[in-house]
Amino acid sequence: MILEYLDVFISGLTNGSVYALMAVGLTLVYGVSKAFNFAYGSFYSLGGYFAWVLMVLVGLWGGYIVVFALAVPFLMGFGFVTEKLIIAPLRKRSDWEVKVMMITLGLALFMDNGFQVLFGPRMKSLPPLMEGAVSLGDIYIANQDIMIFVLSVSGILAFRWVLNNTRIGMAVRAVAQNPAGAKIVGIPKNRIFAATFGISTVMVGVGGILLAQKYFVSPMGGWDILVKSWVITAFGGMGSIRGGLLAAFILGMLEAFVGYWFGLSWVLFALFAVLLTTLAIRPQGLMGKWG
Amino acid sequence: MKKLGLFILICSAIVMGTISAHAADVIKVGVPLAMTGPYTDTGDNYWKGIKMAIDEINAAGGLLGKQLDPVRFDTQEFAPERVMQGADYLCGQEKVDSVHAGWAGWGQDVRAYGKYTAPFFADDGSQAAVDVFREDPKKYANIFQLTDTDINQATSMFNVLMALPHDYPNKKVVIINADDAWGMGVGDTLEANFKKEGWEVALREVVPYGTREWGSIMTRVRRIKPAIIHVEIVSAPEVITFFRQFMRTPTPSILSYGYSIVPREVVQTMGKEADGLIGEVPTAMPTPEAPTPEAQAWVERFTGIWKHQPQAGSWAAYSGVKAWAAAVVAVGDEKNHAAVAKHISTEGYKGETGWWKWDEDNVMRGGGDVPFGHYQVQNGEMVTIFTDPPVKPYKDYKFITPRWIK
Amino acid sequence: MSATMALVFGIMAVLPLFVGGTAHMMHILIMCLIWAVVASCWDLIMGFAGIFSFGQVAFFVIGAYASAIFSIQLGIHPLAAMVLAGLVTAAAGVLVGLPCMRLKGAYIALVTFAVHMILEPFLKSGMGRALGTGGTRGILTIPPMELFGITFAADNKIAVFYAALALAVICSAIIMLVIRSSWGTAFLALKDSQDFAASLGVSAFKYKLAVFALTSFLTGLVGGFYAHYIGMLSTRLLGIDLFVMLMIMLVLGGIGQFPGAILGAIMTVIGNEMLAPLGAYRPLVLGALVVVLVLLLPDGIMGLLRSLVPHKVAEQVRQG
Repeated sequence: MILEYLDVFISGLTNGSVYALMAVGLTLVYGVSKAFNFAYGSFYSLGGYFAWVLMVLVGLWGGYIVVFALAVPFLMGFGFVTEKLIIAPLRKRSDWEVKVMMITLGLALFMDNGFQVLFGPRMKSLPPLMEGAVSLGDIYIANQDIMIFVLSVSGILAFRWVLNNTRIGMAVRAVAQNPAGAKIVGIPKNRIFAATFGISTVMVGVGGILLAQKYFVSPMGGWDILVKSWVITAFGGMGSIRGGLLAAFILGMLEAFVGYWFGLSWVLFALFAVLLTTLAIRPQGLMGKWG
Repeated sequence: MKKLGLFILICSAIVMGTISAHAADVIKVGVPLAMTGPYTDTGDNYWKGIKMAIDEINAAGGLLGKQLDPVRFDTQEFAPERVMQGADYLCGQEKVDSVHAGWAGWGQDVRAYGKYTAPFFADDGSQAAVDVFREDPKKYANIFQLTDTDINQATSMFNVLMALPHDYPNKKVVIINADDAWGMGVGDTLEANFKKEGWEVALREVVPYGTREWGSIMTRVRRIKPAIIHVEIVSAPEVITFFRQFMRTPTPSILSYGYSIVPREVVQTMGKEADGLIGEVPTAMPTPEAPTPEAQAWVERFTGIWKHQPQAGSWAAYSGVKAWAAAVVAVGDEKNHAAVAKHISTEGYKGETGWWKWDEDNVMRGGGDVPFGHYQVQNGEMVTIFTDPPVKPYKDYKFITPRWIK
Repeated sequence: MSATMALVFGIMAVLPLFVGGTAHMMHILIMCLIWAVVASCWDLIMGFAGIFSFGQVAFFVIGAYASAIFSIQLGIHPLAAMVLAGLVTAAAGVLVGLPCMRLKGAYIALVTFAVHMILEPFLKSGMGRALGTGGTRGILTIPPMELFGITFAADNKIAVFYAALALAVICSAIIMLVIRSSWGTAFLALKDSQDFAASLGVSAFKYKLAVFALTSFLTGLVGGFYAHYIGMLSTRLLGIDLFVMLMIMLVLGGIGQFPGAILGAIMTVIGNEMLAPLGAYRPLVLGALVVVLVLLLPDGIMGLLRSLVPHKVAEQVRQG
């Protein structure tokens, strides 16, 4: 029995690390620029398709290291340009928040159907990052899952360190806390917005590559990611990276244990019940701040 | 204000402009399928069969000397008004003389196309659709189902599971199905059948599409150690992740995938890794060796055109077009919809594997020359091991005990 | 505002003279009217009240199912069922609105969208089946409305069209009255500065809850109308397709630019049909269109018209 709980606990950790990887980019953009990106799920698919094109279609030499090395500048550029082209022009308007939601929804529709036209409706698979499993007595943990856990947690912590300890990180935080003040002290606000968007695209795109080799890529696969990330960021507090990380693991555990005790069909109900209760008590989420 | 009026006038002019005139020397054939959205993949399978049939007929000089002209309609996600709109567009406006669909709305389609007379072929595999038909068989006389219902297919799956040359270590079964009409229909039928035979349904899970992590279910499966696990989710990522996570610490269970074996990616992605899985296809073209030389030639033609093995649905949709065309030739007038429909339901159609006979509900029941096929993945390809009903082994192909059962 | 509406509905009213014989065309026109009301309600809540509600499709589906279930299970007249369905939906709206009062922006969007997400599994679940939703099969037989000896069913599209037109005119008039009334002023004040408005004694709570209730009621009512017209329902309404279409209607018409939403709905439904020959490229074009429209026409068609028409006239149009 104890063993079973341990098994479910490990499932929860696996879920949690996947969710953390998905959600952190969304919370970052919202925290800094208050822009809610509806095309977030499509950026996830973009990462997966990018890797598929390189590894399967082109047959690139060098494996995942080369793919990641090429994906980071590509995604960064893609995010940066997207922000400059379609989000920055809206910022001047008083109702820009809702306009951003709509324009990114349009972008999502465009990208998802673009993937479908380009790559066809069937799913694509990537070679596994790592095979085999570690066995501890009766418990097996796939190396793949360990890899995802390590990469996602260390990636997020490293990112937090950058935010807190480097000049660029401080500039980003300054813009997040007080855009007007940041401008006065000479921080190029608009460039920071675009850069944050780029970084968030990198995070979700790289997450997309990591998860695609386990969950596959398909044109409409991004919607699930968007909704899950949205729930996690709201639960943890939009704009709080620590909150997002905590929320990802809480919800991952919740999913594993509700699935174990009651069945997978109850997971969604439980997820939203917990979210609503939390928001009723703390409207800003676990660790979010108002505004 | 004036400009606004002008603008609206232009809009309404465009509306009227879309009513197009039609030519007389072609026969229009309606093809409502999902071309966008989550069902695009299945829509594609049906389209390949339908297109092949139409091209063959046109290449042979057409039907009654007229070329067939497919009119496509995107059914998207099968929202009720979308299904109805398809019927109004194809039958009402385009005045097509037959409609060839695949998954078409699980009963909604019967209502929508039953208002018109053009013969309509669907692959709903749904008792709900048959129930609607039975309300008024006269009115719905133009509705034909190319496959048997979910209930009969699930019963066939059960019968084959019981007939497998395999000693079950216990009488425990785990049933996992998707939360859609098809998944529930199969799940409920299997559960009832297993209980009747004295089996214990140790776990019944209804899961949403999009499930990728199966950890909590696997924990319970490992405790139960069922003799059979049946998974009914017709979507490749779900069933592949399930299989891979199952294989980390497998239990000695027969993995039965039912109709979820059909997404081509299952075999294509996993290859020999999928060896041992069993599954079912209604209105099946048995493979790798087809039952008759004509059928074998069909498979080769299909593979030649589309560069891959036929998917479930392709052959059924192809045969629908051919059955209709044969009836039109017999009647001699494609506009006489009632006579064409009557001919199809009374005379049937002789296809590549033999006779297609629709029953009094206009459903192509499994059996005879068009049985349910039951497959096992062997050496990375789907191999027919049984046909049903009645349950009998197919040619010399044998069930092989999966590698995870020692 | 009322002049524009009168013109739009007036033109709609005579269209059956030209296309009345084609069921397909009539169906498109009826759907134009139905979505016009749903989009207008959404505009009222999002554009005027400034609440990012993403639950509009969910409320529509709740109304449709409720009306179907009332008329089947209780055997009451579809018209009464529609009104009851409106009330049920309004109650649901208030229930969803309550927690939203304390939330902001993207949080409200999430909570309301959660209703959308939850609705499908709920309708399919054992609870849903017990209520009469038919589970995964849906409801395949819904009685059509009969009134004054006329059956408003799918095979009598002209009658349905004029019923839909009447419904759309009534609902739009209600929405217009709300926008013109002291409510509308209160919303504008709340949108500009919630704190300042509150200090003047404008209760955000009361107004926002009331707008949730009203728009849900109208949306549910129209949902009921849809159910009795089409005669069947399934959870496939809750796919992403319809949600995006409604969003496009708002963008095209202009958010907070009533009656832009009505124009947006008509143009989107018709435009979507005209794009149909593009097949798989249709949603691609739609997506690109949204991006371009938001950038170039931030206030939609209505905003464009206002900038084209000289200011004074525009003001007159706005005042009616």
